[in-house]
Amino acid sequence: MTANILDGIVLGLQFGLLATGLTLVYGLGGVLNLAYGQMAVVSAMVVLFTMEAGVPTLGAVGLGLLAGGLFGLLLDLTVLPSIYRRQGEARVLLSLLVTLGLAFIVDGFFNWRFPLRGLSLRIGGGPIPIFGVPMRRGSLVASAITLAAMGGLLWFFRATITGRAIRSVMEDDEGARLVGIDPRRMLRLILIVTGVLAGLVAVTRSMVAPVTVRAGFEMTVSALIVTVVGGLGSVSGALVAGIILGIINIIAASYIGTFLSLIILLGAAAVTILIRPSGLLGVRE
Amino acid sequence: MSVELTEAAGTSAIGGAEERPSRSLRSLLVPLAVTGIALAPIPLWLGHSRVLMGVAVLGLTFAGYTIGFNLIFGSTGQLFLCVGSLAGIGGFGGAILADRVGLPLVVSILAATLLASLTGGLLSWITVRRSLGVIFTGIVTLIFALSFENLLLGLSSITGGDSGIQVQAGSDTFLRQRIPPYYLMLALVVMYLLVHGLLRRSHIGWAFRALRDDEIAAELAGVNVVRYRVYAALIGSGILGLTGATYAFTEGRISPTTFGFSQVDVVVVVMLAFGGIGTLLGPLLGAVTFTAIDELLIDLGQLRELVYGVLIIFLFLWVPRGVIPTLRDVFRSRGRTREEK
Repeated sequence: MTANILDGIVLGLQFGLLATGLTLVYGLGGVLNLAYGQMAVVSAMVVLFTMEAGVPTLGAVGLGLLAGGLFGLLLDLTVLPSIYRRQGEARVLLSLLVTLGLAFIVDGFFNWRFPLRGLSLRIGGGPIPIFGVPMRRGSLVASAITLAAMGGLLWFFRATITGRAIRSVMEDDEGARLVGIDPRRMLRLILIVTGVLAGLVAVTRSMVAPVTVRAGFEMTVSALIVTVVGGLGSVSGALVAGIILGIINIIAASYIGTFLSLIILLGAAAVTILIRPSGLLGVRE
Repeated sequence: MSVELTEAAGTSAIGGAEERPSRSLRSLLVPLAVTGIALAPIPLWLGHSRVLMGVAVLGLTFAGYTIGFNLIFGSTGQLFLCVGSLAGIGGFGGAILADRVGLPLVVSILAATLLASLTGGLLSWITVRRSLGVIFTGIVTLIFALSFENLLLGLSSITGGDSGIQVQAGSDTFLRQRIPPYYLMLALVVMYLLVHGLLRRSHIGWAFRALRDDEIAAELAGVNVVRYRVYAALIGSGILGLTGATYAFTEGRISPTTFGFSQVDVVVVVMLAFGGIGTLLGPLLGAVTFTAIDELLIDLGQLRELVYGVLIIFLFLWVPRGVIPTLRDVFRSRGRTREEK
């Protein structure tokens, strides 16, 4: 049982990091980025190819994160301006369709040029016992990086002026504009940040299981479900929901069997939405 | 900015495309007759090839799916992302009832259609009672769709798992011949359009428009919001189930991917958004166009997905409201000077 819970937390932290990128863009810009999983895949492939070209792992990871950030910036500069011209649900729907197209482009490209490729980073060394359970070193390093990233994000939103500016735009962009914050610039920044986060997801995930070129869609869907359960626009909600769903997933998988476990996971998400449509830590409107 | 989520705002913000139908029956029947006549000669052109006729039937099947989805989403703003699953209830339900339970073919199709309709109605009732907005309805139904896909994969003793099942019933009837399935599907599609057209001009259509444009005002004016949303879901899901069941019996082989989320729902959303959300003929136009595009791109092999993605982005940035509303505006502004632009 302890082993299950620990495994669940490892998975849950990944879920949480995955959902954070989606929830931030949605909370800030009303844009549902369905190409989010593909951002992670692009980063993973950059890491893979630069490593194969002889760049040391740490440098390759840095380049991968940079690629994720560039992807975000590119998204903001090219397709998003025409999406921002619309308001409310029209914007959500258009963003959903356009980023879906983008996801097709990325998936199509990789399936065409590099099918069957996948990134897996191996962390050397034997398992380390935690509460008497031997844990793989890769899982622990991945979780530590995730925790540090989430902590950094929470600190950024609470303590820095830019972070507070972003939060004020999330709450009320008219009001933010009145006090001299440019919501458009904040949004660009957040897209770059989520691109880097997607890269980080790819890197940490590849320490536990390979990230293949086809992983994009599945990652987006997991992110979407965790986001909704945690509450749209809430970073800590994404983390809490990720951990809860991660634990549910592992426990259901080990006691009931894999095919029902996904259904139980999805059921848990559905029940949360039906009981609390605003999510666990979301703001009630 | 934050998007209002709990308020179930209508699709008027998205499409706002639905024209007010005129009361004369001719204005409905003429376009439908033209559509039927335009699509009827297709087998003369493609009938020599079994593969191409299969593509044509699949195109009409998708037209049926898109019409059903349009009735639910375009008319009453409920984003049902379980189109494939509801069709799958029809398809797998029909096949299992006919082959395993041994019911007559027509009875199986009708029972499976009813089951799909009731499932859609139940989903709608739950989401409307919880007053979930468009996005949340979308996510709950997406969750339903993913669960259904997993159930199909998991219950492999009944559904054949990954590889699916061979549909035995109907294999010795006209349903498996080369050309008749096309006309059967075409008849169904024209019937769906007729149903949708008649609904739009009935009191139900007025209620749909009222609650889509302004839900609160509609409720104050005495429109029972829950009831009409559930009506739309019942009828739309029935269309999905009937189309899925008919397709299963004409195709003869179904698997989870026949009704998968990425294979059906994604395509249907794109087709509807292309044709025009809430319009009568938009779904058909979208289905025909994208089936043709898909077929034209088939030589590109692996590159097809990429080109498809580029097309989607350009289409939606260029004609975000859909082709039919955009064309209508072009014709109107040419026809007469408009008071406001």
